[in-house]
Amino acid sequence: MKRSLFALLTLAVVATLLVACGPQTVTVTVPVEKTVEVVKTVEVTKEVPVEVPAERVEVRLSGWASSPSETALLESLLYKFSVENPDIVVKYEPITGDFWQAIKTSVAASTEPDIYYMDIFQFPFFAQQGVLAPLDDYMAKDGVKKDEFIPTLMDAFTYEGKIYGIPKDFNTLGLFYNKDLFAKAGLTEPTDDWTWNDLQAAAEKLSDPANNVYGFGVPADSGRFPVFVFQNGGQVMNADFSDTLLDSPEAIAAAKFYTDFRAKKIGAIPSDVGEGWQGTAFGKGNFAMVYEGGWLIPYLAQQFPNTQYGVVTPPAGPQGEGNLIFTVAYVLSQNSKHPEAAWKVINFLTNAASQQTVLESGFALPSRAALEQSDYLKNNPASAAIFRGARDGTPFMWGLKGSDVNDQMGKALERVYLENQDVTASMQEAAQKIREALKD
Amino acid sequence: MAASAGRQRRGEAFTAYVMLSPWLFIFFVFIVFSIGWAFYLSFTNYNLFSAPKWVGLAEYQKVLTNEDFIKHALPNTLKYVGIVVPVQTVLSLIIAFAMDQKIKGRRIFRTLFYIPSVTSSVVISLIFLWLFSKVGIINQIFGLKIDWLNNPTYALPTIMMVNIWATIGTMMLIFLAALQDIPYALYEAAAIDGANIFQIFRYITIPALRPAIFFVVTMGVIGCFQVFDQIYVMTAGGPLGSTTTIAYLIYKWAFRDTTIRMGRAAATSFILAIMILIVTVIQRKFIERPEEQGR
Repeated sequence: MKRSLFALLTLAVVATLLVACGPQTVTVTVPVEKTVEVVKTVEVTKEVPVEVPAERVEVRLSGWASSPSETALLESLLYKFSVENPDIVVKYEPITGDFWQAIKTSVAASTEPDIYYMDIFQFPFFAQQGVLAPLDDYMAKDGVKKDEFIPTLMDAFTYEGKIYGIPKDFNTLGLFYNKDLFAKAGLTEPTDDWTWNDLQAAAEKLSDPANNVYGFGVPADSGRFPVFVFQNGGQVMNADFSDTLLDSPEAIAAAKFYTDFRAKKIGAIPSDVGEGWQGTAFGKGNFAMVYEGGWLIPYLAQQFPNTQYGVVTPPAGPQGEGNLIFTVAYVLSQNSKHPEAAWKVINFLTNAASQQTVLESGFALPSRAALEQSDYLKNNPASAAIFRGARDGTPFMWGLKGSDVNDQMGKALERVYLENQDVTASMQEAAQKIREALKD
Repeated sequence: MAASAGRQRRGEAFTAYVMLSPWLFIFFVFIVFSIGWAFYLSFTNYNLFSAPKWVGLAEYQKVLTNEDFIKHALPNTLKYVGIVVPVQTVLSLIIAFAMDQKIKGRRIFRTLFYIPSVTSSVVISLIFLWLFSKVGIINQIFGLKIDWLNNPTYALPTIMMVNIWATIGTMMLIFLAALQDIPYALYEAAAIDGANIFQIFRYITIPALRPAIFFVVTMGVIGCFQVFDQIYVMTAGGPLGSTTTIAYLIYKWAFRDTTIRMGRAAATSFILAIMILIVTVIQRKFIERPEEQGR
């Protein structure tokens, strides 16, 4: 009885070993398109044998999964990469759910992927903690020049003189305006040359509170309000992020201008019209103008295809232009066992050809400066306006205690909106609380 | 004889432990070890990326002097427990009692009352987000113009309502099961003695239900102290901290902040655990003792 069991186990082990060192070719499932009848194209899969080199290295890549089509786009780029680099296997591991929670805990356990997405807002902590690998040497070796990318984006991912991330794409804020509401109010449509006065005057004419229509969306959102601070010559934080400047006269005046829209009933926050996000309020025609990023374009196309709109860069303030830049980079883990291979992947995904593909897919605005002259942007004025915004943009990043700064900025506006607190006092309270958090 | 019986018992115990071992393994790794590790972390300054640094009770002190904790999380959590637990217990008891009567369509009612319990709390939160929006059905029915979830006065009560509505079903089910256990003879005797339905409820049903009430209240208290998901989905702790609870603050410190404060999150967890422990012990005194004395 016992002997037969032992024999059985031996057999199993031997079989496993045989299987393990067996075939030298593997079959990979590759999607191919096949035209059926006249109009229908159906996706079928075909088994293709691929010669696999004896030594292959595995590189893991993680990002958030924003939409199935965006995932498919990345997978198609990775497939192209695998054809060109058969010695590198890229394992794409999208993270659904809370990306930062997942990535931070995996870094803590040293099990993080070789390459992962890095939002500029989270970047300072990762850079300061030394969990990312500097990329300067790899860039120099492969002749990747810093100035091929939009300079602000590259600078954003530079920490203590070293580059830690290659920006993959970005977004800025544009002034989205509803063409029908402008026509109804008899107004000429906005241009890139608009100023705060034009914005306010148009908001006044466009507003019709009785019918739940407001000229301009002014959410208590730290991802919108700072634009006005910049345009008024102010800053959210000082240069080394050791102090906040939200209680400066420039920032307080910007907060007054911003919150006045709602006080005068020529602007509103999304919940005033029963929405959670002003993008929806804009789509439904409750808000005539909003500051939103390129993400609003596909959303409107899907949810509100009948809303006629245009996009220009945000109107200039007393001290000129200003904008916020939201950007994401590919970073290389300091723990990576195959940093050379991982760099190859990053370099491939951010090269001119890949970025052109990303741009044409319409999901995001890639980070290469040369793309500003692309045909795609010439044919898509809305995206072009968002792209132009990068010229005057400041990265959406407030240093190591960024989330505290965000919270307090939002609360400062909420106190004005919901508790009728004085703007100056509210901004001072926010600044004081941010200083406490910076010391903590 | 005695020795062999003892050996046999030891043998049985050994078999029991062997059979329990998979569960014990999981218990020690994921519960005992995790709690121990969190306890250690609560005395450290730890941001996940650098090694934990021992700081003694400093993080506990920081929590107890933190404005978000004292001004928002603690009072909000106590308010939440103080209102939700009694209301959900009383309501579910009344509903269970009603469902135990021979009324028409009680099967349908039972199902309807229980549906929220088998629905994902995230889905429930999203539905209520619509119901309580400024242009939502609730405002339209009552002719109000309240921005429920974006108003510091109404946001927490709104979430309380959602939670009461969502948990009543489970509690009703527990009470229903306990009600079925009460011997029918007791009711019959009471009826013969001329007791009306309220007297029957007060003098027969309630005393017989004491263990069930203790269970429901305890589970309710623990659940309410840890309220998180509805808040995460509906308000993210806002507006102006009016719905920040202790559990939400723990999440914020542990995962949401750019610079992680894991030590502080762990310290807060232990403060929360101690609070739950104290309340449960007090509750035991009030609910269980009278029953023992009564017998």
